[in-house]
Amino acid sequence: MPLWLREHRWHQTPTAVFLSLPLRGARATPANIFCSERYLKVSIPPFLFEAILYAPIDDTNSTAKIGNGNIFFTLYKKEPAMWDSLTLENADKEKLQHLRENAVLKAQQKAKEEIEAKKATKEEHKKYALEATMKLEEAERKRIEDLKEKERQRVTEELELWKKQQKDADKYKSIQKEGELHQEIGQLKEKKSEKTTKTRIPNEGTSKTTPKPTKGCHGSCSIFSPNAKEEQLPAPRSVATIKINFTPRVFPTALRESRVAEEEEWLHKQAEARRTISADLSELEDLKEEEKNPDWLKDKGNKMFAMGNYLAAVNAYNLAVRLNNKLPLLYLNRAACHLKLRNLHKAIEDSSKALELLTPPVPDNEDARVKAYVRRGTAFCQLELYTEGLQDYEAALKIDPKNKNIEEDAEKIRHLIQGTMQSS
Amino acid sequence: MSAAPGLERPQVVSHAQQALNYTVFDCKWVPRSARLLCLGSAARGTGLVQLYELRGARLELLREIEKPKPIKCGTFGATSLQQRYLATGDFDGNLNIWNLEAPEIPVYSVKGHKEIINSIDGVGGLGIGEGAPEIVTGSRDGTVKVWDPRQKDTPVANMEPVQGESKRDCWTVAFGNAYNQEERVVCAGYDNGDIKLFDLKTMSLRWETNIKNGVCSVEFDRKDINMNKLVATSLEGKFHVFDMRTQHPTKGFASVSEKAQKSTIWQVRHLPQNRDIFMTSGGSGSLHIWKYEYPAQRSKKDSEGAEMGVAGSVSLLQNVTLSTQPISSLDWSPDKKGLCVCGAFDQTVRVLIVTKLNKI
Repeated sequence: MPLWLREHRWHQTPTAVFLSLPLRGARATPANIFCSERYLKVSIPPFLFEAILYAPIDDTNSTAKIGNGNIFFTLYKKEPAMWDSLTLENADKEKLQHLRENAVLKAQQKAKEEIEAKKATKEEHKKYALEATMKLEEAERKRIEDLKEKERQRVTEELELWKKQQKDADKYKSIQKEGELHQEIGQLKEKKSEKTTKTRIPNEGTSKTTPKPTKGCHGSCSIFSPNAKEEQLPAPRSVATIKINFTPRVFPTALRESRVAEEEEWLHKQAEARRTISADLSELEDLKEEEKNPDWLKDKGNKMFAMGNYLAAVNAYNLAVRLNNKLPLLYLNRAACHLKLRNLHKAIEDSSKALELLTPPVPDNEDARVKAYVRRGTAFCQLELYTEGLQDYEAALKIDPKNKNIEEDAEKIRHLIQGTMQSS
Repeated sequence: MSAAPGLERPQVVSHAQQALNYTVFDCKWVPRSARLLCLGSAARGTGLVQLYELRGARLELLREIEKPKPIKCGTFGATSLQQRYLATGDFDGNLNIWNLEAPEIPVYSVKGHKEIINSIDGVGGLGIGEGAPEIVTGSRDGTVKVWDPRQKDTPVANMEPVQGESKRDCWTVAFGNAYNQEERVVCAGYDNGDIKLFDLKTMSLRWETNIKNGVCSVEFDRKDINMNKLVATSLEGKFHVFDMRTQHPTKGFASVSEKAQKSTIWQVRHLPQNRDIFMTSGGSGSLHIWKYEYPAQRSKKDSEGAEMGVAGSVSLLQNVTLSTQPISSLDWSPDKKGLCVCGAFDQTVRVLIVTKLNKI
């Protein structure tokens, strides 16, 4: 519940109302005062003073002075008249409410209008400023243009003048030359009459010196003057060649500093690529002579196999294969290693490769072929591909029917197959 | 790199401009005249030489000459002032010297190289310097050849790679040091960043270096004096100024380098009237005007007592962007200070005037 401030005092003149409102120790700021045409409110929580004014006032010109624990209002009446009282008496609640609301609305509107007005003036100022600067710049530009234009004209005039001078000079020169020419002709005629054997003065000279318009003068002049000059010019240089070297550059394009980094990178990459390809070759560079011999490697492999070092054997055979991949025995032996290492698929591969290389089947490679088949068969059986295994064994038997071991193994496999067939 | 203050700087004023319907590779002023030549390649694969005259603020076409092969470069350097014969190098490796009054048949012609002649320079003509007139050509086939117009078919000097060496494109050549009848050097720049200096008197390689970027253009500040400065421009927006007065036995010539633009610097040309001012043209269509300042002492002794050059500094006087395409060729007029022509790959040739060069 606000505390109403009622101890106000007022007096009036025909045009103004003076209201004095004591604040009971409260501090007032302009924000606490709300005034519109017919409504005045001072709200300093918890204190509240409001007054519905008897008649409308000019709230824009009215003032409020805060000081000495007092607010002193000077309200200018809209219509000069004496008020019966400060506030409207007998105002019912509704009316009061209505008035209050109106007042608030009006105040808001006023505030809005003020803002708009302010904006408008600001815009105008900006525009004006802009136009002013533009004008200044334009003026400056024009000034420079004018200066330039003046220069141009001045220079053009000079140019024309100079051209004229040139023309005159040329004319003068041509007149001079003609004079010289006539002198020369005179001299020539004299010399001719002396029956000179000098070939220096060419006959063409005489023919051309027969009276001709000034244009011909230039042509004939040149015959005389270069002749004279040629005597002063050194002979053409003796032919020589200078051999040069260029700063090396891989790319055919021109050198640009900004691209150097990229180019370096590319070259680097190329070098890397080349290095990996020839890694084999470069490794092989490190090997000793004998190590480059596939047969020697095969022997080494065999020894390893015999010792039971199957991995080493495989390595040896690998290297040998790299050097010469056409030797079936390498694959054959590697297959045996793989069998021992239980790399069954690899064993099959190698045996197959060996068999490929062991074509055409000749008595010479019988042994090898038998071994290949047997090894492959073993691999198949160990993978439980018994039918395939049997096939291989039978192939082996075909080559070498007298081999007991193979026969026995083949039997075993047959049994196994039958066994599984029976059970499935 | 400090720029001269405000309006005292030389200004580049565009004087005249001409749109062409072919690609222009080289543009040259005709000495002692207000005429200029544009050399290039027409769309149908033939070579074009166009002669323009500067009239007022316009270029007027006086003459057009068409040749079977596109023309890459040309020079008046080796011709006399009366004759003003143009030496051109074309895409086929042919070196031709033309009399522009009678251009049907060349005055001198040789198939000098197996591939396109990238660059040409002449010395001994135009009343500048002494000695025999000579033309040097640098080609894509990796060779640099020096020709004497009085000697048919064979070059008087040939700088070629040793047997078995893979060739590099020679992109630019320049004459220098032609201060008397015997002395002469040729400087060549290659696409792998090599710069080589050949001494024609001793017929030997005098100096070589590598500037880490393909060399687009080399020029001595003057051809007809004891070699003073050499500017070499390259890809990646860099150029180097070498002080050529002092050669150290191992370190060669001292140099200062600048990175001006992000793109290739296609050409460098020294102002004929002031050898310390030069202009570079760039791949971004811009022109930069530079001034070289000499150091307090041009040479000093190193730890072993050998003479070593000291490079000065370069400052930017002005820069201007004229086009979006590279400006591939540039030439100062030898007669009018500040008048220059440039040709760009946007098929336009522009005549420019650089003002206030007197005040530098």
